Amino acid sequence: MIPDLPADRLTDYLRRMLVIRRFEEGLIELAGEYAVGHFHVYIGQEATGVPALAQLEPGDVGFTTHRNHGHLLARGTDPAAMFAEILGKETGTNRGKGGTLHIASLENGFPTTSAATGGCTPLATGAAFAFSRLGRDRVSVCLFGDGALEEGTFHESINIAALESLPVIYLCENNSLEALGQKANEYPSSTMAAAPLTDLAAAFKVPTITVDGTDTGAVHDAMATAVGRARGGGGPTFIEALTVRWPGSRPIWPQLLTGPTDLSYAWDPSAIPADYAVWHAEQDGLLRYVRELLSAGVLTPDEALAMDEQVKDRIERGVRFALDSPYPPVASALESVYA
Amino acid sequence: MTRTRPLTDLEILARMWLIRAFEEKVSELYAAGKVAGLIHLGIGQEGSAVGTCAALGRSDYVFGTHRSHAHAIAKGADLRRLMAEIAGRSTGYCKGKGGSMHISAPEVGFVTATGVVAGNIPLALGAALTSVTRNEDRVSVAFFGDGAGQSGPFHESLNMAALWKLPVVLVCENNGYVEFSPLSAHTVVERLADYASVYSIPAVTVDGGDVLAVRDAVTEAVDRARGGGGPSFVEVLTHRLRGHYEGDPARYRTLSEREEWKRKDPVARFARHLAESGVPPESLDDVEAAARTRVAVAAEQALADPPADPAGVTGDVYV
Amino acid sequence: MAARIRYIEAVRQGLQSSMRSDPSVIVLGEDVRYGGPFGATKGLADEFGKGRILDTPISEATVMGMATGAAATGLRPIVEIMFVDFATLAMDQLVNHAAKLGFMTGGLLRVPLTVRVQGGVSGRFGAHHSQSLEAWFLHTPGLKVVAPAFPGDAARLLEVAIADDNPVVYMEHRGLYWTKGEVTGNEPASGSVVRRRGDHVTIVSYSRMVHHALAAADTLAADGIGCEVIDLRWLAPLDLEPAVASLRRTGRAVVAHEAVTTGGVGAEVVARLQAARGIRTRAPIARVGAPFAPVGAAPELEDAFVPGSGDIVGAVRGLLGEAPPRTDGQKGGRT
Repeated sequence: MIPDLPADRLTDYLRRMLVIRRFEEGLIELAGEYAVGHFHVYIGQEATGVPALAQLEPGDVGFTTHRNHGHLLARGTDPAAMFAEILGKETGTNRGKGGTLHIASLENGFPTTSAATGGCTPLATGAAFAFSRLGRDRVSVCLFGDGALEEGTFHESINIAALESLPVIYLCENNSLEALGQKANEYPSSTMAAAPLTDLAAAFKVPTITVDGTDTGAVHDAMATAVGRARGGGGPTFIEALTVRWPGSRPIWPQLLTGPTDLSYAWDPSAIPADYAVWHAEQDGLLRYVRELLSAGVLTPDEALAMDEQVKDRIERGVRFALDSPYPPVASALESVYA
Repeated sequence: MTRTRPLTDLEILARMWLIRAFEEKVSELYAAGKVAGLIHLGIGQEGSAVGTCAALGRSDYVFGTHRSHAHAIAKGADLRRLMAEIAGRSTGYCKGKGGSMHISAPEVGFVTATGVVAGNIPLALGAALTSVTRNEDRVSVAFFGDGAGQSGPFHESLNMAALWKLPVVLVCENNGYVEFSPLSAHTVVERLADYASVYSIPAVTVDGGDVLAVRDAVTEAVDRARGGGGPSFVEVLTHRLRGHYEGDPARYRTLSEREEWKRKDPVARFARHLAESGVPPESLDDVEAAARTRVAVAAEQALADPPADPAGVTGDVYV
Repeated sequence: MAARIRYIEAVRQGLQSSMRSDPSVIVLGEDVRYGGPFGATKGLADEFGKGRILDTPISEATVMGMATGAAATGLRPIVEIMFVDFATLAMDQLVNHAAKLGFMTGGLLRVPLTVRVQGGVSGRFGAHHSQSLEAWFLHTPGLKVVAPAFPGDAARLLEVAIADDNPVVYMEHRGLYWTKGEVTGNEPASGSVVRRRGDHVTIVSYSRMVHHALAAADTLAADGIGCEVIDLRWLAPLDLEPAVASLRRTGRAVVAHEAVTTGGVGAEVVARLQAARGIRTRAPIARVGAPFAPVGAAPELEDAFVPGSGDIVGAVRGLLGEAPPRTDGQKGGRT
């Protein structure tokens, strides 16, 4: 379903999703030619990240994990600066010091990315603690995958959040739905005896919501409920958003197995290729959202394509900017160790 | 595994009295300056220690905590070597290197104890893994307090024990206080057994003042573990009648609370139960007297033993 | 002639031979059945079964504790921590239990545990996947620490580590995984070794830095400067006898490692060398290591951070009076 929002907000959500999709596709191509460190892409989870994060207000913060690009872009981080960071350039979000695994954008509410699984749960809880103690009407969003629940720090964090009624939202993006059907040489997914995962939070008496992570409207509503609770002093919420892992994210290094996304798949099923047809037809939340916007009359195919062209152009310019940018001065390797 | 003969009721009472007498002796020696260190006593928690260990065989593993004199005695540790360890004597179980918080009596299956809250739970899982890997039917028990429930390794361990169906019994001695604070200051969760059900681990909460109830609950868990049914969680509601450590005046506890728990004293309660079921009062008194005598002798011998040898300060760092 | 194989294959070989000879050896780690990200355990699950190659959740603290408990009760576990950076999550169990149980029980227990970690700077992985944390382990009584530089040692010393009744942290360098070398099985089990003879300067190093030291020695040889290169191999216990013997002859030494110089292994080595009997240095012993900073992810920053053969060459020339030696704990040879 589509969120109950004005048309301009609905199309804004789509634009943000397209920015993420084209960014990640561009990055995979770029990686073939220019060595960047090991990275993880957000393709297939846009319909979770955008409705969840684009509704936050300035001053709200998010703490994210190794699959972070989509989160940062959803809140408006400049793709050019992110490309530059991933390539280790002076113009990057972290002046080249972080790389893909540690992108930060304070002005867009992302103090840091922690590449240690579960590393962001205490950080996000701590930010919520600060908001609570400072009397600020802000929320903190903790973004992580199902694997983070295997770390003890999650349990330590949510216990304190529940105890102190902290304004924190734990958004677990569980992309392991297809784990059982894995083939050899693919990474296994989480190793967890608890099912459903929401039971882990419910044990601490924290309200939980399970949502289809490809359903933009459902994610929007779940997040709105959680944000409302947090701002109203009602404490934490745990949301589990279920998605299917994009086939191109199954190999250790992402590959464009499904090809560059063709928006016409949304309105012309005959255009969908036989390879990964189920992905394009049923599992891709972005295409689902396009279909929903079309059927609601919010958008025409031509408008969608025009928007996509604008986004692609922006991404291309971002890539060029990053490639043309200088590397940071060597002396900066020793700067910022201390405040 | 060689099955151990189940303890009789009088033997259970005797173990409880041994613990009570031992702990009171430690308290007395500490007050007199004859024992140093950071001492956590198990007075009031005898029902949990003895009830649990009465369900175990000698070769089953037990992993203790900072408050584990009781667990070691319940598992059958030698009183003199135990007291010698606490008193820093060379004849102690660990040559004085462990002290009160790091008891080890492997010959009776008491593997080790830890000063790190929840630190022993993964260790107990490891022993259970040994048992599975070697195809033995030893069961592993971890004792821990309610404070462990807020610690990450506790939750990680629940997951892994469930995932790997390990023969481990997690015995939570919930005495309602985490050091100097009530549990409610540390978590909104009242029953730690609730965590276990998240991982589909069978869990039960029992009254730690009732030693036989504890024994029966743990027996069921042990049988499940030996039968390949994986882990169990036994939450024992108990109370320490002393402070967090010797020297802690425990001002955080109300008088009425103290009085209530004195009435629930598991040792006196079990003695009453036996008297009511026809055991002559003089035999019950004899059990207490015998325990106090054994402890007095053990303490006297231990204190007469030579102190830990300073030459050993760097010994045993490596095998 | 022995076959030349890759370092990562040598690690796998060490695991395999140990598991074949001792059924109590098991492996615990994330995705180890799959082979891990670098293939160190590839194929082992097929040979030894899932009962001995155990995939764990991402729960480093508990996995380390479990392995310690299993070691104390009769198994010989190997824990794989995917990146040494994440050993931080397991430090409580490693430092407070594995390292101390033997001592704290007065020898009643022993903990034959091997912890395999890989680390070091390689591949622009950023500050959470590039560290060299050996000094943390070295500082803990009860732990042994080994850091092989060549495939032969990688295989042999892993077998030795697994057979040891003490907890051993076995440190692999990711940047060495695809380097090749001979595996003879005759590599010495303990102590340090002299990798190259020379009369003018002694270079003491370990892990990947040994390769940089050898490259530096080549460069300097062209100018008639003879460098003796010592590969420590074991950091705990630390064997400095060959280094001391060498320093007695040369009177000059550089201690080089990739880890941050400050508080590093080099500080310990320098202090012990200075205090050794019969040492009269002609110049203060120099240290080469990383600067006091986390590593930046950008290629330029990573390259500026990680010390290499050029830094060692600079330090040697400094000792010989060609430029003032750096002894301030900063990375040598660069300004």
